[in-house]
Amino acid sequence: MKVLLIEPHRPLAQTYAAWLRTLGCQVSVAKSAQSAIHVADEDVPDIIVLELQMAKHNGVEFLYEFRSYSEWREVPIVLHTMIPADSLHLNEQQLRLLGIAAYLYKPTTTLMVLARTIKEIVGEEKIENPDNYDRHHTLAQGLSGS
Amino acid sequence: MSAFEYEPQERLLKALAEQLKIPLLQIARQSELAAIDPSVSFRSVGLTADMAIRLIDSYILGLQVQGQPALELEPVSVASMLQDVAHQLTPFAKQHELTLEVSLSGRYEPVMAQKAHLEAAYMALGHSMIEAQSGEGQSNVLLAAHRSAYGIVAGVFGASDTISADVYRRARALYGRARQSAPGMSAQTTAGVFIADSLLQSMQAPLRIAHHHKMSGLAATLQPSNQLQLI
Repeated sequence: MKVLLIEPHRPLAQTYAAWLRTLGCQVSVAKSAQSAIHVADEDVPDIIVLELQMAKHNGVEFLYEFRSYSEWREVPIVLHTMIPADSLHLNEQQLRLLGIAAYLYKPTTTLMVLARTIKEIVGEEKIENPDNYDRHHTLAQGLSGS
Repeated sequence: MSAFEYEPQERLLKALAEQLKIPLLQIARQSELAAIDPSVSFRSVGLTADMAIRLIDSYILGLQVQGQPALELEPVSVASMLQDVAHQLTPFAKQHELTLEVSLSGRYEPVMAQKAHLEAAYMALGHSMIEAQSGEGQSNVLLAAHRSAYGIVAGVFGASDTISADVYRRARALYGRARQSAPGMSAQTTAGVFIADSLLQSMQAPLRIAHHHKMSGLAATLQPSNQLQLI
């Protein structure tokens, strides 16, 4: 499965990309809205994980531009953002129209939750190593004592 | 003190809280990843934590300055201060895949400043500029000084289109009120700029938009020590 991760903060992008790669995902990283369009064009992602808060063109601008291309209307997008839900200024209908498959508040979203969300959206069959997810999940639960 | 007088401090605190969310998040997720994958290094976690602590220290120093009538200024070497700051910020810049360089055009006499405050200001400014440049896909950040008719201009510079005088003016007016006060600076990168500004203002050297060669950034004009010039 190909994931396009749009994350402006490099160290964070590396952490999320490393995690998704352990699940067998092919991860492309874009750090701005402009480069995300180019990367999407080249890599044709199955799913996009998007931070809305970026310098210059923000994620909402990216969303409208991305959805204006017919070939990208069906690609599911996960909002994984520092912006709390009550400050999004996008209502449910707009989110649906923009094809937002899930909203995750980044500060409280663990790697496990991010992986589980992607897995639920794209379906397990699209994940190359779904067993890795379950193995990591069990391991992490064991480490956290839960 | 009225609520109105508190407002700028509250805004700065809010901006600081926004900026600190990122390193805390980085530490949390990196730790989660390390628990799963033992090959993940904890070095970057330590560095992220150190930089966040430095930013908090700079903020506290800025608060302390506001309670004081006037800072006792002393002669400080700009060149060695910038070199020290660059030395401390280099690992952070590398973490963001950026190169941090020092550019000094000539030799400078000492400036009148408060060394700890000056260093804290440039650390906070450098921190914010590195984070702002990181998302821009730029490759280097410059700590630089040059002489002008008004004094020695020392600042942090990056890609030419990251920040303009207009953007900075609007950011100054909006900071803490809007989630993203300027297109070139996300909510997570503004606190360092305003902490630096408050520290430098206490030395009568507020931050302004400046250019160094073909790069633009934020700089303060520091006054050379006339007394030492005569020696």
